[in-house]
Amino acid sequence: MSLVDLVGMLVLAFFIGGIIVYATVGRRWPAVFRPLRGYSDLEDAIERAVEAGDRVHVSLGTGSVIGSDCAPALAGLTMVSRIAEITSVSDRPVVVTAGDAAMALLAQDTLRSTYDRINASEAYSPNSGRMLGPTPFSYIASLPVLIDTEKVSVHVLAGSFGYEGALAVDFGNRQGAFSLAGTDNVQSQALIYATADEPLIGEELFAGGAYLNQHPVHRASLRVQDLMRMIIIGAILAGTILRVLGTFS
Amino acid sequence: MKLGAHLLWAVVAGAAGLFVLLGYFIESEIIIAMRLVLMRWAVLISAWALLLGLVNILYVHFIKVRDMEPGWPYSTVLMLALIVTVVFGALGPDNDIIVMVFNYIHLPVETSLMALLAISLAVAGFRLVAQKRDWPSMVFAGTAFLVLLGTVQWPFFSDELFIDLSGLRDWLVQVLASGGARGILLGVALGAIVTGLRVLLAVDRPYGD
Repeated sequence: MSLVDLVGMLVLAFFIGGIIVYATVGRRWPAVFRPLRGYSDLEDAIERAVEAGDRVHVSLGTGSVIGSDCAPALAGLTMVSRIAEITSVSDRPVVVTAGDAAMALLAQDTLRSTYDRINASEAYSPNSGRMLGPTPFSYIASLPVLIDTEKVSVHVLAGSFGYEGALAVDFGNRQGAFSLAGTDNVQSQALIYATADEPLIGEELFAGGAYLNQHPVHRASLRVQDLMRMIIIGAILAGTILRVLGTFS
Repeated sequence: MKLGAHLLWAVVAGAAGLFVLLGYFIESEIIIAMRLVLMRWAVLISAWALLLGLVNILYVHFIKVRDMEPGWPYSTVLMLALIVTVVFGALGPDNDIIVMVFNYIHLPVETSLMALLAISLAVAGFRLVAQKRDWPSMVFAGTAFLVLLGTVQWPFFSDELFIDLSGLRDWLVQVLASGGARGILLGVALGAIVTGLRVLLAVDRPYGD
């Protein structure tokens, strides 16, 4: 095992240990997270949609389950679970779409298990989790009809998107829907910043579970994430200072 | 019984994830071989999932056409296009009709969507300045405007007439934007790791209970 592999394993062990520790002591020292307007506005928008009998749509993007771009969609599925709980009392429960068939199946499983858990099995329909199109643009091209016919008033994009993500947001805006969007691609984040009502930048997308009160472990994992970021920033600063000192000595 | 199945799925998913993860760090032949087998299974299952996804698309649109729901004519066109493409696609990817469908329908439609994206972004840029009057939005719009000025070709005069616009663009893109993008990527990477670990620890169970 090389030194890099060893460091990698130690970092993963640190993450797992940190999550367990924070999940255990989290109740004693509860975390205070900075307010994220996107998530608070999302909860308000969902409440309005439920009252008005409108639909909430969650898009898991065009990334595949077996690709390296599945993490944002997995974070999106965490949000789906929470949104399904809130909208289960509505006449129009949440509808989830994906560009990858396996991701659509995971969305169906997530919805089914969530509705079973809260004794609302009647809210589940196999059509609630759908694949819209297998390529990025075929997926995007199918969105306007879905948003229009399903009476969508809350449009959440939590998944991997390329440049087409901006179009996906824009189609929601044209219908007057509240749009919350986040992705892993930096260039697409810039486009989403310009188009979405509430853009999620960087790690904000992955904090959805913690902010929507999904599970104490989500809050614990967010604290570990913040701690790790501080350590990395410290290491970068220390490296920069040492490099500068080395250059001038 | 329910708890037993729940635990079984969690253990199977966790063990599979752990083997694939360890295969990247430990150079053991057994672990690497198991990782490869699991990856091949994943590819196979994904291919079957695609088939199920296509059936799902057909089913959803069939219901819309049958019940004459709003937008049913679009569903009819989609179903016909899907069936025609699958039938002729079965003859091979070099089939004349498939090549024609790709060159004269698929490609132009995707290109026009890209063109639509450019227009949408221009409109979104104006809307951003008009609606979000906070300083991040102003900086965003101003930077985008400067980068555009430094990128376009000026027809009648050099771009160095007032200031070195292309140099300013390069500085913005290579220094400020790259630095910011690295910070964002760091956050995305940490978020992705934590999300993966939550699935591995069976806290998030996208495969259901």
